[in-house]
Amino acid sequence: MMPLSMSETGRMNQIRKVGGKDETRRFLESLGFVVGGYVTVVSEMNGNLIVNVKESRVAISKEMANKIMV
Amino acid sequence: MKIKIALAGNPNSGKTTLFNALTGSNQFVGNWPGVTVEKKEGKIKGYTAKGDEAILVDLPGIYSLSPYTLEEVVSRNFLLGEKPDAIINIIDGTNLERNLYLTTQLTELGIPVIIAVNMMDLVKKNGEELNVERLAKDTGCKVVEISALKGEGIDQLAQRAVSMARSGKKSQPAHSFEGCVEHAIAHIEEAISGKVDQSMERWYAVKLFERDEKVRESLKLDKALLDHIEADIVNCENEMDDDAESIITGERYNYIGSIIEDCYKKRVKKQMSASDKIDRIVTNRFLALPIFAVVMFIVYYVSVTTVGTLLTDWTNDTLFGEWIIPSAQSALESIDCAPWLTGLLVDGIISGVGAVLGFVPQMLVLFIFLAFLEGCGYMARIAFIMDRIFRKFGLSGKSFIPMLIGTGCGVPGVMASRTIENDRDRKMTIMTTTFIPCGAKLPIIALIAGALFDGAAWVAPSAYFVGIAAIICSGIILKKTKMFAGDPAPFVMELPAYHLPTVGNVLRSMWERGWSFIKKAGTIILLSTIFVWFAQGFGFENGSFGMVEDMENSILAAIGSAIAWIFAPLGWGEWKSAVAAITGLVAKENVVGTFGILYGFGEVAEDGAEIWGTLAGSMTAVAAYSFLVFNLLCAPCFAAMGAIRREMNNAKWFWFAIGYQTLLAYVVSLCVYQIGTLLTAGTFGIWTAAAFVLVIGFLYLLFRPYRESQNLTVPKSIAGKVRA
Repeated sequence: MMPLSMSETGRMNQIRKVGGKDETRRFLESLGFVVGGYVTVVSEMNGNLIVNVKESRVAISKEMANKIMV
Repeated sequence: MKIKIALAGNPNSGKTTLFNALTGSNQFVGNWPGVTVEKKEGKIKGYTAKGDEAILVDLPGIYSLSPYTLEEVVSRNFLLGEKPDAIINIIDGTNLERNLYLTTQLTELGIPVIIAVNMMDLVKKNGEELNVERLAKDTGCKVVEISALKGEGIDQLAQRAVSMARSGKKSQPAHSFEGCVEHAIAHIEEAISGKVDQSMERWYAVKLFERDEKVRESLKLDKALLDHIEADIVNCENEMDDDAESIITGERYNYIGSIIEDCYKKRVKKQMSASDKIDRIVTNRFLALPIFAVVMFIVYYVSVTTVGTLLTDWTNDTLFGEWIIPSAQSALESIDCAPWLTGLLVDGIISGVGAVLGFVPQMLVLFIFLAFLEGCGYMARIAFIMDRIFRKFGLSGKSFIPMLIGTGCGVPGVMASRTIENDRDRKMTIMTTTFIPCGAKLPIIALIAGALFDGAAWVAPSAYFVGIAAIICSGIILKKTKMFAGDPAPFVMELPAYHLPTVGNVLRSMWERGWSFIKKAGTIILLSTIFVWFAQGFGFENGSFGMVEDMENSILAAIGSAIAWIFAPLGWGEWKSAVAAITGLVAKENVVGTFGILYGFGEVAEDGAEIWGTLAGSMTAVAAYSFLVFNLLCAPCFAAMGAIRREMNNAKWFWFAIGYQTLLAYVVSLCVYQIGTLLTAGTFGIWTAAAFVLVIGFLYLLFRPYRESQNLTVPKSIAGKVRA
């Protein structure tokens, strides 16, 4: 298990755990970041990530990406 | 029968396009009660007859009905409180899984739901298949295929939605959860039976199972009942080895997975989509900033320097200068209109309002670009690219967009801050957006540069530099204050797929922004130009009140003289400058016109070339720069203040913003003048000492220690703003 922020660009990862406080986690879940789902890093910029999750592109900050374990 | 239909869907699902296609021009825009989330309503085309109309209410774009963002709370309150007759749920056909997550929650509300699958053309183009009949069966809703962009399937959707709303037939959610979850929910439903609308029992039961605070509060259940429900929840949690909310989320996605397996045929080998490829390049860590700089340069080069200036010059010089004003003048003279009335109409109203309207073409060009960047999806990437940078001084990447628009006009700029969900970031953005020199401040810059600095090329860029420095310093200082203390909001944002926006949508968005500016010219600016014209033309002369020959005797001069001492430490304590700064509150470009009138030149060119000599004789270069800085940073024009008031939605915050801006302007101008005079003329006085104290205080506020929080939570202020 490693944080999503450490994943290399272009690789598809399965989400193992979504951490963080409840509200943050709920919001990530409604966007499709659920345990067992797949997520691919499309692009990285100073730690902020653009990822593909459930057929859509989502930009998340480095801090958030650290809470998603793959 | 009058019916009400709600339009719900994810952000970027094409909701706005569908709303426009369904309602055409029958729209009214307002705010949701108590918040600054925009509320749009419209009559569905073909159903506008009186007493028989179908009202469509556009809900904010949301991902779920949980109470974690302002948009979600607003939508939820509307659906539960007003119980629309039907819900049109627009879903993006290319992204079914995520979009259906909201659908599963909408169907539990006991309101008939019709699903509009958007972007069907893209689904087919991608070689994928969606079986609509099966989707209808699996979700228990009617399903219509549409393409909002191309206007396909819209009429059919409208017909079906209206007839469904009229029939009043409630839809039943077709999905069920795992055995023990259903068991607990059934228990809860039984327990709250009779306390809520029967058709909404399931929704309330699910929310109580999730321990939704707002629902708990609103139902006011007694303790025994809550304990009883809690026992059911804990039982289920133990059995599933997860917390209640995650159980429901997981169950919903499981159910959606089964729907997709049943009705969606994906292509086996999925290649990288076009959007992914574009994103690889434009958000690449090395290329992103250069590409962004080039795009911004093009936008600016075209809308501000070349085409924009051409259009503005034409409106000011030809349309107003050669056609409207002379012909109005001669028409009024030919009917023997009283000279004072001709003066009021021509010199006061037409010239005043005309000067403002001169900016409209330029702004429209800028708005076309912005609408295009927004429509094609690049704007969202800009927020992403700028986020890391803006985060450093307490703003979010989304703050960039209001500031960019603010370079054209502060009013739409401040209004654009609505896209920032986080309360703290939004307030900070509203407060700092108007520091950027807007189009109307350019004439002041041109005047000062021309009159005192011999048209030096560094003056205009330095004005932008002052604006940007004011934003950065304010961001850093404010984020260390108690008012803005707290954790920064985590940056999470969906990026829409790239696509070419339609001409209609671009023009519509351009017009909405432009219109708000034109309205301002027609109302507040009209009134204030009349006031200023009156105040400068009338006063006490030779012991009686009337039209004055000499401006020195006017009401305006009296006001100016009364307050001029305030500005003495800034180097321009003469009443004329004070008056010019006041008229700048009406509209910033008035500053130039006022100088023109006060120095007795009447109508002057936009940059006031005629008065350069006089102005240069009346103040030093340092004083003039201090005057420029003050006008750039102080409270913006009345129209922009109105926008700040509306977006802050709170009198205390409004006055704090205006007060902060003016204070900052005063302090910076004071330091510029005093220290500048010390350097150029070597004079040292009490105010010079004050300036140094202020500089030290400023540096302290800027550099005092601040520990960036590592804790990431969505501030309660967002979720707690509206009570369910």
